[in-house]
Amino acid sequence: MTSTEQQIIRKAAAGDRVAFRQLVLEHSHAMFRLAWRISGDQSAADDIVQEAFIKAWRKMGSFRMESGFRAWLHRITVNTAMDHLRKQARVKQHESPQPGLEQLAAGASRPKIDIQIDVQVETRAAMMKLSETERAALMLRHFEGHSIKEIAQILDMSATACKQAIFRAVKKMRIELAPLVTT
Amino acid sequence: MKHITDDDLTLLYYGEHENPELPAEVAGSEELSQRFDELSAQLQGMDEWMPPARGDDYGSEVWRQIEPRLTPEYAEAGPRWKTWFAGLMQPRLSLAGALSLVLVASLAFMLGRQASQSESPVPQVQGLPSSIALSGMDTERLLTSSVSGHLDQLNLVFTQFANSPETSLAAADRATDMLVANRLYRKSAEAQGKQQLARFLAGLEPLLIELAYEAHKATPESLDRMQKEVRDTLLFRVRVMNQQLKQPNIST
Repeated sequence: MTSTEQQIIRKAAAGDRVAFRQLVLEHSHAMFRLAWRISGDQSAADDIVQEAFIKAWRKMGSFRMESGFRAWLHRITVNTAMDHLRKQARVKQHESPQPGLEQLAAGASRPKIDIQIDVQVETRAAMMKLSETERAALMLRHFEGHSIKEIAQILDMSATACKQAIFRAVKKMRIELAPLVTT
Repeated sequence: MKHITDDDLTLLYYGEHENPELPAEVAGSEELSQRFDELSAQLQGMDEWMPPARGDDYGSEVWRQIEPRLTPEYAEAGPRWKTWFAGLMQPRLSLAGALSLVLVASLAFMLGRQASQSESPVPQVQGLPSSIALSGMDTERLLTSSVSGHLDQLNLVFTQFANSPETSLAAADRATDMLVANRLYRKSAEAQGKQQLARFLAGLEPLLIELAYEAHKATPESLDRMQKEVRDTLLFRVRVMNQQLKQPNIST
């Protein structure tokens, strides 16, 4: 973290909106990508990003400069995304079942033959089959480049458990993606 | 030579391997190289999964959406209790109680482990006040009475929510505290093997999440649904469970 960044964070923690706005401008895209990959849904990701920034504003006073700000923001984003998923699951229990992401993930609505395989769709469906923790851990490692130690902190779990979550996620993804990828 | 698993290769792919000789071993073996190439190709396949594009002004758009919701009270670096009025103190007490309980329960757990290792029925640790040298029965009672207090406050929060025409950010803040406290109590219950109580507390979390993050901006229909659920189901369940906790003969 550069000294300029530290200064901006300190100002934001003291309630400076202009400084916090700078942080929002800088981190919005990355937070959207993370939120989208965990939720699998565009408008949900937009909501998650907004909620996560509001929580970050509320918690700025508790941020410790010695820990990475990006990892701290990602932790808030992941927790917000997971809460969102749980809430969605709960709301769906109250509603009549409709074809959606879950069905796509389960392969129920996918034609089995005579289609041009869309790797993007298949990858997304495979991702959605992972547990929340597996998905978040893999996202943070593969796409965001966090170390296992950082991910363990973000997800509030031990490094060993984090490693195992990534291993399980990779195994599942390989099974799903193997037919699409030739070496 | 230790057998190299796919997990080892995964760690190598992400540069997290702890065995410094692993890269050379993989490079020197045709079979391992082939396995590593296969794994790499499959993991690289995930890169096809690209998020939808967001414009250059996405950050500004996010800012426009959230700015009206950034009230000054939230950015305080110091203790927030200074600004709280009496009504808001109740949930905060619940959170503080939960944190205290977790601290005491952890200590009791450590003392318990020491005791079992030394085959002494009651843990004795020099320098610790007798009030925190707790037996299993004490921690169980502590959990029960703490959760009962928590449920009293939930009862209050749920009743207020069920009868309010609208909700506010202050109410959302209270619900956030209750959610955190609820999770800590659930973890304590799990740690003590109180599965029924843990499941009950877990069942409250989805609605607390909604109250914390959604209720203050919910549509009238959603708010109505949440309030109905609280009135018809949750308030009753909270009261019944609280009664059970206050009658020590009933197992939770």
